[in-house]
Parts: sequence; C-alpha cells; structure tokens
Amino acid sequence: MKEIIKFGGLLLLITGVAAGLLAYVDSLTKPKIEEQKRLEGEEALSWVLPQVKEGVIIHVCSKGKTLYYIGYAHKDTTDLVGYAFLAKGTGYSSDIETMVGVDTSGVITGIRILSQKETPGLGSRILEVKPGETEPWFQRQFKEKKADQVAVEKDGGEINSVTGATISSRTVTNSIKEGALNLAKLIEESKEK
Amino acid sequence: MRTGKVFVKGIYQENPIFRLALGLCPFLAVTSSTENGLGMGLAATFVLVGSNFIISLVRKLIPQRIRIPCFIVVIATFVSLVEMVMQAYSPGLYKNLGIFVPLIVVNCIILGRAEAFASRNGVGLSLLDGLGMGVGFTLALVIIGVIRELLGSGKIFGHIILGSGYNPALLFILPPGAFLTIGLLMGLFNYVEERAKR
Repeated sequence: MKEIIKFGGLLLLITGVAAGLLAYVDSLTKPKIEEQKRLEGEEALSWVLPQVKEGVIIHVCSKGKTLYYIGYAHKDTTDLVGYAFLAKGTGYSSDIETMVGVDTSGVITGIRILSQKETPGLGSRILEVKPGETEPWFQRQFKEKKADQVAVEKDGGEINSVTGATISSRTVTNSIKEGALNLAKLIEESKEK
Repeated sequence: MRTGKVFVKGIYQENPIFRLALGLCPFLAVTSSTENGLGMGLAATFVLVGSNFIISLVRKLIPQRIRIPCFIVVIATFVSLVEMVMQAYSPGLYKNLGIFVPLIVVNCIILGRAEAFASRNGVGLSLLDGLGMGVGFTLALVIIGVIRELLGSGKIFGHIILGSGYNPALLFILPPGAFLTIGLLMGLFNYVEERAKR
C-alpha cells in the first residue's frame, strides 16, 4: 500500500512537471500555429476557387465562426463566381478537414484536404500523389461533380475510394456532400432575407 | 568506457539503423526524400539527447519498478515539444512527416537508449550517447534519403541532379526501394566489418 502511494505520487509529480512544461510551450507556439493554419486555409481557398484569381473572397460569419466563403471575380465584390466551405468529418483515426469550392450552379470547382492523421499507408493515401502528377488523385475526382454525385461507389456514387481505406474515403466524401447541401440551404436562406 | 568512444559508437559500431536495426518503421517511411530524412533525424536526435539528459539526471530518484512509465512520460514530453515547434516553424516538414512525428515516442532507439544507457550512466556520458546515436540515426536517414531521392526522382534536396536524360526509377521512392536500399547498405556494412576483422 505504501509503495503504491509512493509510486503514484512520483508519477504524478513527473507528469505534473511534464504537463506544466507542455502547457508553457503550447502557449508560446499556439499563435504561430494558428497563423500557419490561417495561411494554409487562405491558400487552399484560392486553390479551390480558381475563378476568383485577382478578385476577393469574403468570409460569411455567424457568432464568430466562419460559415462559408463567397468568391468574387473583382475586388469591388461584383461578379459572383462561387462559394467555398470547410468540410469536417471524423475518419478512422482523426478528424479530416477539407476545403471545398463550388461555382454558382453548385458544381465543385476543387477540393483540398487540409488536415488528416489517418493510418499511414492506408487512410493517409487519400493524399497520395501518383508519380508525375501534382494533385492527389483521390482529391481530383471531386472536380466538376455536383452534390448528388458525391458519394463513394459502394454508396452508389461516382467517387472511387482508396483501397483498404473505405472509412477515410467515405468520411471525406460524405463531409463534402453534407457541406454542399448545407451551403445550398444557407445561400437560399440569405437570399430570402 | 572512453568518452570519445561513447559518442562514436552510435555512429558506426552501434549505428541504430545499420547495426542495431532499431527504429526501422519511421525510417523506411520517411526517407523517400533527403529533406524528410534529415528532418526526422534531427527531430529524433533532439528527443534522444533531451530524454537521455533528463533520465540520467533523475535516474537515482526513479524506482526500478516504475521506470518504464517514467521514461515514456519524459520521452513523450520531448516529442510533443518537437511536434509543437515543428508545426509552428516548419509546417511543410510537419506535413510531410505527418503521423511519424508523434510516433517518435515509440521509436525503439529512444526508449532503448534510456533503458540501456541513460538509466545507468552519468549526465555527461548520457548526453554524448544520445548525441552519438542521434547523429548515427540522422546520418543513416540522410544516406538512404539521398540514394532513394537520387535514384527515384533524380534529385537531392529537391534540386535536380540527374538531368532530363535520366529516367527516374520510381521503385526507389516507393516502399520496396527502402527495403532494397537498406538491405544492400546493411550488407555493405557487414562486409566492411568482416574485412576489417581479418
């Protein structure tokens, strides 16, 4: 009994010191990491909305959270060319975030998977780039599809899932579909207003 | 053991990859390019040196029976530090190494050195041991990274070395290339060792 208390106390002390140190470094690196994430998000945005080019992308927020993005071809917010949104889903071992761009008729103009920590060699192959190509093949499939076509083949859709990684593929696919339908609803609502 | 020897043995005699064959999993996965190999090697070296330092410092306070959880906490702390710093200052590398950064925690070299060396030796020697092992590991990663990147895509550190006349052997940036390269290099090491003995 005495030993358990001694060992437990010692472990508590060690983990306590470790936690304190980590919390300190976390507070130092957090702003930098957030900044990097923001930059990455911006880059992904212009990637999924290629029609915007020199134009401007506006964030539509509600209660401090970005709901979706609107892309205009000109800086003075004229000539609406498309929308973008961040799709989130829980994959096999991580949350997968994907930036998705759609044009005004609801056709997907591009997607980019922003973060994932799926199993290396299986789920992580949603980001696999075939030799000689620049864009992951799984990601490219979504281009020029409409929300109702976005589903993995097993679910009757047109997206080929990654072999051995149905869960990861399905997560990305379904989160995009859900997001696209949700976006259509939000746009409809804002028009009614 | 002589001080110099403690450092050098990690690089050659007890090279974690070529001689001990420890930590092969992240090794095979990330060496498809030189840059990734170097990044992984440096991250692991930092963790090795840090954990060896702390563990040798507190080795007399830690009871034998709970040493492993204590070691793991120390190692995991250093790995988390590396992960946060890398994410903040080198996001490209962090993305490339992906899940293999947090997996440094279970890299057998690190726990192996804590158990076999740092828990039995003083702070100075343990630091040297960690550094030597880290340098050996990094060197091995860079060597394999260079070979695989050069043969697999005709580049080193992303710079084109073999011109357009070279047709890249894709095999080398794929997993089988890693196994082939490491097998041949281990063989070479053994051959040199045998020759030296005679």
